[in-house]
Amino acid sequence: MKKIWATIVKEWTLTRRDVAGIMLLFLMPALLIVVMAMVQDAPFKDYQERSFELLIVDNDNTNITQQIKNGLASSGNFHIIDTIDNRQVSEIQLKNLLQNGDYKVGIVIPKGASAEIVNAANTVANNVTQSNGLPTRTARDSNKIRMYFDPVSKPTFRMSVSFALDKLITVSSTGILVDRFTKMNNTEDSETRSVDFKTIFSSIGIEERMLGEEIVSNSHANSVQHNVPAWAIFGMFFIVIPICSHLIRERQEGSALRIELIPNARKMVALGKILFYTIVCTMQFVVMFCVGLWLLPLLGLPALHLGPNAWVLLVAAISIAIAATSYGYFIGSVFRTANQAMPFGAISVVILSALGGIWVPVDIFSPALQKLAMLSPLYWGLDSINTVTLRNGGVADIAPNVTVLMVFSATLWGISTVKNKKRQISIQ
Amino acid sequence: MSLAIEIKELYKEYPDAETPALDHLNLEVKEHNITGLLGPNGAGKSTTINILCGLLQASSGHAAILGHNAQTQTAAIRGIIGVVPQQIALFPNLTAQENFDYIGQLYGLSKTSIRKKSNELLERLGLEKHAGKRIGRYSGGMKRRANIIASLLHEPEILILDEPTAGVDVQSRAMILDFLKEYNQRKKTVLYTSHLLEEAERICHDVVIIDSGKFIASGTPKHLIDTTEDCTSLEEVFLYHTGHTVRD
Repeated sequence: MKKIWATIVKEWTLTRRDVAGIMLLFLMPALLIVVMAMVQDAPFKDYQERSFELLIVDNDNTNITQQIKNGLASSGNFHIIDTIDNRQVSEIQLKNLLQNGDYKVGIVIPKGASAEIVNAANTVANNVTQSNGLPTRTARDSNKIRMYFDPVSKPTFRMSVSFALDKLITVSSTGILVDRFTKMNNTEDSETRSVDFKTIFSSIGIEERMLGEEIVSNSHANSVQHNVPAWAIFGMFFIVIPICSHLIRERQEGSALRIELIPNARKMVALGKILFYTIVCTMQFVVMFCVGLWLLPLLGLPALHLGPNAWVLLVAAISIAIAATSYGYFIGSVFRTANQAMPFGAISVVILSALGGIWVPVDIFSPALQKLAMLSPLYWGLDSINTVTLRNGGVADIAPNVTVLMVFSATLWGISTVKNKKRQISIQ
Repeated sequence: MSLAIEIKELYKEYPDAETPALDHLNLEVKEHNITGLLGPNGAGKSTTINILCGLLQASSGHAAILGHNAQTQTAAIRGIIGVVPQQIALFPNLTAQENFDYIGQLYGLSKTSIRKKSNELLERLGLEKHAGKRIGRYSGGMKRRANIIASLLHEPEILILDEPTAGVDVQSRAMILDFLKEYNQRKKTVLYTSHLLEEAERICHDVVIIDSGKFIASGTPKHLIDTTEDCTSLEEVFLYHTGHTVRD
């Protein structure tokens, strides 16, 4: 134990004298997190999170169209624009603005659109009650609400806006229909059967909840939630650079020979190194999460959500740290020179990170690539953190990830040990 | 006088090598003596030391240090020997004192005994004012002296040095040689290799000359000079036995 502790102290002394190394370990990943979280903030926001400017030409101007406009505005997803320079927007002006790319989406409510909704509701009510108590007429296609999009807008965006508008029209139609049924029911047999349709329909709807606990969802997979753990893990795996450079330098400078000449020192020294770098990696993780918790909100980004079992993150962090350290030890043991080891270490971490879903979430990979992603230790690390922060997971939930990371580490350790035994450190 | 090091029929062949590095070498080092292991380049000096330290496995034969088999009792042997390699086997970004503290702890020594021993050695080898300086900033001679200190922290019974004075100035060399004599006077055995035959003649009780992995001659420098035809110095004895052909 004394030998392990002595090695930890020695590694710490060497590390604190290497200012550039510390910068690489702590400042660079922190900077990466800030930049990536900010750059990816917009692409990560879907139509529910982002407020779009929505041009509206309301040629009908009734209570129903007002309700639809209010509904769109109150959803928080749209900023309604119906006047420009204190003048009502016209349909031609709307088309021009969209064509120029000044706006992404516009809606034209033709005169008679509300009447069409009322007519449809009345027709349904008459049919259901088999009476002709409500006034109806033939449906007119010319009264349909028209939507226009910027030609470069993405299909998913168009669909999202279309769904939102469709929902509001349906809500308005259903509201009128329910109102009609209630009125007709009360008129026909008010003393014997008074049915409140509004109350009956009020229980129908969607409420999003978090898995695991009965609390309403308030966290989404946003830019911060992806980038902080992702780049923290990336930074942790960059520990391969200082580890392999130290190992190779010690072999070349001769200090490894000194260790070799001391009885039973080699294994203890290796263990001390692994422990030291595991501690450094875990500290990196903590620092990066502090950036997500306190620095990013100062830059206008959402704060990192840790989930209800935040302490489990430490288990995940330690297992990722062990995997990263073992990978560095492996590269430092297998390669002879720093010229071979360092470029390989850096490029392999970039490849493993791309494969492991660090750059973009694995969810948007093709199914084949999603399977291939499982070969990357960074995938298991990131998944374990997502399990804790987004899925409210506990230790049992991340146990498979931790097991994979430990198997990965043990395998690399085994190969490194064999390689180091075979490598002859001798007096020249 | 009993034997500190005993080598019998030691044979070592490297893969792809045309000739063996050690060819049935026999060698004895008496306890409490300073013995010089001399030979031209490629004679097998480093291979012999590597086998004695357990860093290299012999193809066949026997090597023992104070009765411990060098091939099978490596840990025991490393506890009783101190090895000063030609390379500076220290951490250049640590100070001399930090190096000694770390190395001493790896030997299982207490911090108090490390400090006591290192202070004594630093003073003896003229480095007491530089203990807080990083090894990387030392001069060549200072590095060599620090390298010796690191090998002596655990008070080894046998000190093995591989060209400890190579590339150092005259003052440093004199200090190192005086120190080795002093260390030997504390009933310690010293085995040392050098290309500087004058130096060996000056401090060694015995010398062993090897060439092409084979034993050539051994004895006190005076005995070798007296018994070799027309030789007045150890260098002449050496050239008489190993020839004038330049080695790679």
